[in-house]
Amino acid sequence: MRPIDWIGAALFLATAQTAPAQEAAADGMPLLSPVTWERLVNSDDEPHNWLMYHGALHGQRFSRLDQIDRGNVERLELKWAHQIRQLDRNQTTPLVVDGVMFITESPSNVTAVDAATGRAYWRYEHPLPDGIRLCCGRNNRGVAILGETLYMSTNDAHLVAIDARSGSLLWDAEVADHMKGYSKTAAPLVVGDTVVTGIAGGEFGIRGFIDGYDAATGERRWRTYTVPEPGEPGNETWAGDSWRTGGAPTWLTGVYDAELDLIYWGGGNPAPDWNGDLRLGDNLYSSSVLALDGKTGEIVWHFQFTPHDVWDWDAIQVPVLADVELNGELRKTMLWANRNAFYYLLDRESGQFLLGEPFALQTWAHGLDENGRPILRENVFPTTEGTTVAPIAGGATNWWSPAYSPRTGFLYVNTFDAEGIYYQRDDEYEEGSIFLGGGHRMPLAADHYQSAIRAIEATTGKVRWEFPITPRTRSGVLATAGGLVWSASVDGYFFALDEETGEPLWRISLGAAPHASPMSYAVGGQQRIVVAMGNVVFVFGLPEK
Amino acid sequence: MTGQSASLASSPLGPSPQAPDRRHGVGLTSRGGVAAGRSLTAIGAVARVVRRGVLLLVTGAVGVAAEEPENPYTSGIDVRMGLRQFQSKCTSCHGVDGTGGEEADGPDLTTGRFQHASTEAGLYEVIRDGIEGTSMRGLRRAGDQEIWQLVTYLRTLSRDVDVASLPGSVEAGRAVFERLDCGRCHMVEGRGGRRGPDLSRVGGRRGPDELAEDLTEPNAEVAPRWWTVRVTRADGTVVEGLRMGEDTFNLRIMDDEERLRSFAKASLRSVEREQKSTMPAEPLSDAEHDDLVAYLASLRGSDS
Repeated sequence: MRPIDWIGAALFLATAQTAPAQEAAADGMPLLSPVTWERLVNSDDEPHNWLMYHGALHGQRFSRLDQIDRGNVERLELKWAHQIRQLDRNQTTPLVVDGVMFITESPSNVTAVDAATGRAYWRYEHPLPDGIRLCCGRNNRGVAILGETLYMSTNDAHLVAIDARSGSLLWDAEVADHMKGYSKTAAPLVVGDTVVTGIAGGEFGIRGFIDGYDAATGERRWRTYTVPEPGEPGNETWAGDSWRTGGAPTWLTGVYDAELDLIYWGGGNPAPDWNGDLRLGDNLYSSSVLALDGKTGEIVWHFQFTPHDVWDWDAIQVPVLADVELNGELRKTMLWANRNAFYYLLDRESGQFLLGEPFALQTWAHGLDENGRPILRENVFPTTEGTTVAPIAGGATNWWSPAYSPRTGFLYVNTFDAEGIYYQRDDEYEEGSIFLGGGHRMPLAADHYQSAIRAIEATTGKVRWEFPITPRTRSGVLATAGGLVWSASVDGYFFALDEETGEPLWRISLGAAPHASPMSYAVGGQQRIVVAMGNVVFVFGLPEK
Repeated sequence: MTGQSASLASSPLGPSPQAPDRRHGVGLTSRGGVAAGRSLTAIGAVARVVRRGVLLLVTGAVGVAAEEPENPYTSGIDVRMGLRQFQSKCTSCHGVDGTGGEEADGPDLTTGRFQHASTEAGLYEVIRDGIEGTSMRGLRRAGDQEIWQLVTYLRTLSRDVDVASLPGSVEAGRAVFERLDCGRCHMVEGRGGRRGPDLSRVGGRRGPDELAEDLTEPNAEVAPRWWTVRVTRADGTVVEGLRMGEDTFNLRIMDDEERLRSFAKASLRSVEREQKSTMPAEPLSDAEHDDLVAYLASLRGSDS
């Protein structure tokens, strides 16, 4: 089956350094120009920039730059590095806009640096109040940009707008009350003149939602809860009042299809994580993907990957949009390698399930039925004594971005084959406190298991190759038009693989674990590859004559 | 300074009739165990969960809202004792005047805002426990009293000026600000230009006397960020702008059109620095001057 190169001729623009809308200085260096909505929609036409968290609205994390390729990658060298001042998990994917790079830092800061040298223009430090409740570190994954304004989530569950040229705060909107366990870590998504953003805090029994804010003023335009209240469709999937503390947070950045005017966003697991008896029912729209109207945020369709999730398998992955040929017909599809170990191909206009295949070790389902609903095995629910099930709570994959290459038709995914023991416990909700309803551990040390970067054929779900990683990885994946797939491993390596075979072509030991996804840009006609590992952002390129 | 500590002592944070009791009640029984309500409750919450047998995978703050303890040490003596603590333990990173800066590498503590604390109890915890992942270490050997006194001293560093006591009028000052079009270069609350410092919180950063001098003698002390740099390139063309960053090899400016520009010094024919303010000298009457100072002193950010 032939993968469709939906950007076609755009590849050939890959070496063009200046899109028509942009300004350049007399010396040819680009000048930061307003990032219009048109530029965001057509971001594939300016591959020297990385204009949003996923690189483009479709979420493919594929760079059309091809200067670094399979023939020359072995000559790659370090160009510069940016040290992050406060140590924590460094989850940033920087943006690059016309020669300026925006790097988010722990806990809720952002620095603008010259993309050629890595030297700082300005730095914004967001003051944080006492008593922030965070499940998993003081992280920030990146900013969004529209015009000359950056949009950033903060740990105290605010959304801030920052001037891209000066670093001045333009507005500061409280999204939710951090004292109740709400927090924010993900990059927002710009859709038209609306800033769309999710929320974290599922471990605290929050009620998840997706919000849209006026980009100019910070006024909220709409809110769509991921847990319906009584009277709304789906509320019947929550026993009693359990919807009030239903979780389903939305802690990663979604994607957008401009032709269909649909926003796609993943929803996290229901709360409490491991005690499903406290919330009987399918628990919509936890562990689901939602398609929202681009203007109103209203739910157009949903697809639930893991009904009544009792394993913490958030559908917090990137909805990857690609047009592929199925049975001779070009289809608008969504590719999704889920934390529950199944790969799904969905029709993104209707939400119809097209196919599903496991891509990693799983022992919880016999398979998926014709509608994509899992056919559960016996005895897979958590118990007081503990139930052993694969994948682990951390998932067969997690929030780290996959990459889709229109050149190969493969979705490259970070995977983990391991089983966990799941415990159920009684729990009572207390506002602002952890609300888990159980626990989880791995029966053996991580070294007993295996991670891999796997190439999943988008149209069949078959794994075409894998690159094994010992013991595991917490990095996203980037694919580039030079035929390369980039990722990193917890043992501190950053590496490049052949897109067709998975053969490792280049690696460097950077000495610390990744918690982020790589990206690529170009400045002065030179392609760069960027990865955040340890507390450093590393920038690589080819030797220049 | 005395005025500020006096105002602290008479504030709701000052000692109350129950102060002696509170001094014991705030958890002084175990060293470092104060502040207390919150972290102790947090530990309690974790303990409860652990008793239920939950295996906690998550890390980070798991606090529960509780009554914030009040600072029992807020007198003038406490300010002086806090200053002594500050001088011996804090100045190597935060600077002798608490303004931090590049050299010292610790953040400015005089702005009235702290990145990791928003209350006195929060400051107490930061001083006691430090901030993980940064070079801020906790004063674990210090007693409760010493830490509270440091908190008291830190509070005196931020400009806590009663704007109503100033001679000028805030509203009239705002009008002067608008008439002179100061917003052409200065941003206030997200509106304005980029060719001067953002003034949204200048009232917390600079006292009325300093603000007055900033207006009358703008060249007295120009921060390096606001120097003008003129670069002449190899082809003879000249670019001028405000100095956003300079290092051994590179120079970054914001040019006249508010564009960000970066230059490799080796590629330049010359670099000239003008260590003067670009703020135009506007003739102001004494009343207008006072009004403008009052307005600027009132700028503390939208959440204050």
